[in-house]
Amino acid sequence: MRDLIVIGAGPGGYEAAAHAARMGKKVTLIEKQHLGGTCLNVGCIPAKTFLRSSKLFHECSQAAAYGIRLAAPAFDMPAVVERKKRIVATLTKGVGSMLRQAGVEVITGTAKLIGRNTVLVGDQRLEASNILLATGSRPAVPPVPGLDSASVLDSNRIFDITSIPKNIAIIGGGIIGLEFACFFNEIGSKVEVFEMLPKIATGTDEEIANRLLRILEKKGIQFHLAARVLEISGNTLQYAAADGAKTSFTAECILNATGRAPNVNGLGLEEVGVDFTPKGVRTDDYGKTNVPGIWTCGDVTGRRMLAHAATREGIVAVNNMFGKKDRIRYNGVSSVLYTHPEVACVGRTEEELKAAGVEFHKAIVPMAVAGRFLIENEGATGVVKVLTGARFGEILGVHAIGDGSSEFIVAAAAMVETEMCASAAGEIIFPHPTVSEALREAILAVH
Amino acid sequence: MPTPVELPKLGNTVEECLIAKWLKKPGERVTAGETVVEIETDKAVQEIASPVAGTVLATFFPEGELVPVFTNLFVVGDPGEEVETFRPNAGAAVASGSTAAPVAASAERVPVAAVMAATATASGPISPRARRFANEHDFHPASVQGSGPGGRVLEDDLRQLYLSTPRVSSVAQKQMLESELVAGEGSGIGGMVLSTDLVARTAAEKLPRMRERIAQRMRESLTSTAQYTLNTSANAGGLLTLRARIKASKGVADANINDMVMFCTAQALLESPELNVEFLDGKLVKHAEVHLGMAVDTPRGLMVPVIRDAHRLSLSALATRAKELSTQAVEGTISLDDLSGATFTVTNLGGLGIESFTPILNPPQVAILGVDAIQLKPVRRDGRVEFIDAIGFSLTLDHQIVDGAPGARFLITLREKIENVEALCAI
Repeated sequence: MRDLIVIGAGPGGYEAAAHAARMGKKVTLIEKQHLGGTCLNVGCIPAKTFLRSSKLFHECSQAAAYGIRLAAPAFDMPAVVERKKRIVATLTKGVGSMLRQAGVEVITGTAKLIGRNTVLVGDQRLEASNILLATGSRPAVPPVPGLDSASVLDSNRIFDITSIPKNIAIIGGGIIGLEFACFFNEIGSKVEVFEMLPKIATGTDEEIANRLLRILEKKGIQFHLAARVLEISGNTLQYAAADGAKTSFTAECILNATGRAPNVNGLGLEEVGVDFTPKGVRTDDYGKTNVPGIWTCGDVTGRRMLAHAATREGIVAVNNMFGKKDRIRYNGVSSVLYTHPEVACVGRTEEELKAAGVEFHKAIVPMAVAGRFLIENEGATGVVKVLTGARFGEILGVHAIGDGSSEFIVAAAAMVETEMCASAAGEIIFPHPTVSEALREAILAVH
Repeated sequence: MPTPVELPKLGNTVEECLIAKWLKKPGERVTAGETVVEIETDKAVQEIASPVAGTVLATFFPEGELVPVFTNLFVVGDPGEEVETFRPNAGAAVASGSTAAPVAASAERVPVAAVMAATATASGPISPRARRFANEHDFHPASVQGSGPGGRVLEDDLRQLYLSTPRVSSVAQKQMLESELVAGEGSGIGGMVLSTDLVARTAAEKLPRMRERIAQRMRESLTSTAQYTLNTSANAGGLLTLRARIKASKGVADANINDMVMFCTAQALLESPELNVEFLDGKLVKHAEVHLGMAVDTPRGLMVPVIRDAHRLSLSALATRAKELSTQAVEGTISLDDLSGATFTVTNLGGLGIESFTPILNPPQVAILGVDAIQLKPVRRDGRVEFIDAIGFSLTLDHQIVDGAPGARFLITLREKIENVEALCAI
């Protein structure tokens, strides 16, 4: 009998499988489609590939500001898609060989639980002492008439486009919607974002989210906030604006970016008695489900829905199933919006602290305090915001907007996760000149 | 000339005392008669003063140490004078006050200590390099096994321990310093102890000397006697009327209900001499005088001061004496002589609303009277039911000496006295 069967080869599943195999366990990984899951095939990686190209394209148009004269650049969409395929292929191959090296058996097929230790793949019955559910998520389709029609693209199919649309309507002002808004805006599409809430990037510290909104509006993206999409027919979208007025909007392309839904159906969860709702499989900080021997991680739990959170959750579950006590600490999970400019956050937001009645100190410093930021980002602005506990000075949250922040947020994550006080963090030596020095200045300013 | 000051013999049964608190440290000046150290016996806290003016040259025991009587505690003299000749030969375990290992001394206030397993005592010697390491790293484990000669703690011992100890997050450290919390199992990165991992201190603590003594006496009481308790009540109307009269009149010493009960008890004992005895080593010691022990709740535990010749005192004299003694007991200034020699004890939980309880004998005494709360009680009078204020009594007796009937008869006598208390102690 195997020690572990992992269902789903995304960043939660394949990392967990490899981790268990490296512990000397007998592991089988079942994947119905591609190694790497959403992240590698239709999520983080392809999106960032597209965004790198659009950013470079945009920078080319700004080259004169850096003292470089260029002829008018052209955006070659098929070449960009080609590059994306190459990168995805390279990484997928990498995952495959990593799993082989670790000694994980990989089976392609659709898995279904038929017992707490038994999984059916096709007509093959597999047994293991532990099963890790890592089936991920898929683009959510809220009940809006026409949203499920073929004319509406989702975050999977958007990567198949071959030309630059003249204009695009993006439904949803969350991470996915905002990143695609930046991409299409930079390559020359007219972008309109429809968000049901009165704000964008929900869950992000509001001061940062508001700055992002202003910057993106300045770049030409049009936002319809508190706007409810009522119906879609063909290329026309009907919505109720914030004031209730019903308006129609026609776009060459409509993108559904309303979020993601956990893949909980068809897995046999009901049959085996695993507790779940449409919002995800219920679990705890140790990765357990209500059924002994069945564990879970990643988007299927509906918790953070971030690749790196899934990876850590999977490793935590594996550690616990094989007797090494471990726990996921969500305060240490950073989140990054790869918009232009980037937003990177870790820990608690100002709104969360206020709601919880936590007394805190706050410092917000412009990114321009770091010389490197000025050098790298002609004409751009950004800030780093640090929140500390009023009594002990521990770093509770770090929220940054400005390119470069995605690379230094991990330092802030370590501070938050280790409950470091600002006074201690101020002793850390930040390399000069880097954008990270803005974080240092904010830490020094907070007390 | 250096003057050694020894621990005096504080009573016939006192063999050793606990160093409670040093009020002066080596190097500090004292005047003649100024208190240098507080010591604690199972009965009370005593102050030991310097007989001469001068500088405290050395203190020979850390706080919390048990010291036999007639042992030198400290030396007063002029700076630079030799003190080693006065140092008690109490063995290697005793560290002098001036060289006490900082590792042990500071262990209480440093949170990191809490995550350490107790493997050895740190009161042994420590090398200067180890001490510097401890200070530089703010690392003061409660215990560390010294690998040097004679168990001397070396820098490497501390370093090894430091590197193998789970780290405590800076917030958790600060919280521990400000609270009674200690580190639980670390759930952070690499087992780091986070603020959410802090737990209430559950470590077993040594009982304070006095509590230990109380515990021992209670165990002995229950194993060496045949205790049983009789419960009854008396009409408290007289007590309440008298109390009201005393409160209303000026110039009369304040006497409370308990004082009145003790007064009546002393008088009742004169009529029930079989309860005013001690049973010691198989022999009965009869007492003509009533020395009344009164249980007093003090911050450091139960104490029982003794009102001597209680049967000869008027109510106001008894009340005045009771008040003096209980104040001294609470403040810890009571003389040891006032804590021994009782022939009978009264304990009162009625003020705390207790309706009935089982007092524990204070051997070799054979009886103890518990005073319960005053409660309304229905009584039949002239064919009707009336409610009276009734005070409860719980009398514990040693059946080895006192049978049920004489015990009950004593309670009847006591009840008569209580119900006629106004006449008994005309004021």
